Amino acid sequence: MFKSTQALFGGLLWKTPWRLSSPQKARQRKRLRSVDRVVDTVSAALSRNGQSSKAVERWYAEMPREEEMLPKDKYTLFDKKEKSYRKSIHKLPKWTRVSQRVNPPGF
Amino acid sequence: MSYFRVTLMRSAIGLPRRSTDVLKALGLKKRMATVFHPVSSSVAGQIMRVKELVQVEECEKRLTKQEVHLERKPDPGYYVEKTVARQQKESPVHKTFGTLRDPMPGDGIRHGQDLSGD
Repeated sequence: MFKSTQALFGGLLWKTPWRLSSPQKARQRKRLRSVDRVVDTVSAALSRNGQSSKAVERWYAEMPREEEMLPKDKYTLFDKKEKSYRKSIHKLPKWTRVSQRVNPPGF
Repeated sequence: MSYFRVTLMRSAIGLPRRSTDVLKALGLKKRMATVFHPVSSSVAGQIMRVKELVQVEECEKRLTKQEVHLERKPDPGYYVEKTVARQQKESPVHKTFGTLRDPMPGDGIRHGQDLSGD
């Protein structure tokens, strides 16, 4: 049976919700923590063997940890085209497999 | 000498070519694959490149593929107390079992069942 809905009538209709659900946010926090854990393990192993890595040092210098991050930075990112200069992080392509932690200061 | 134990948890499908190439260089071909690399700054840099996709542990010993597989294998729920050497093929079969040895308390599961059946 045909039911006239906006999606079936064609046209441009985005079905992606504009905000994250709370389980999505929980999984996002879990992923952030797992990345922190990987970096911590690598750093601890290197220091135990008296070595160092530029990539690890740079990560510690630039990136906040999950518990240091503001909720705003965990779940949204800067976008100049948005009215509030922020859009939800799930709009970022491959957002579950990329590290996006810092945003421009002041936004 | 310690090793990085790297397990691929998420695939690199759709990610930039460089990520896929780093996984290939580490020897990770499919999800849940585990590789061991000595702790060094170059391997650390490779891991940092794919840190969102892998799980890393530090371990003292390099395990073989077989040993990694056995870690994941579930407990079968029984164990064989004593393995008995295989007899030469004789006929009839049930006599072979009878002459093997007498049933004793504390027999393994397999032997107990075979002897009680006779």
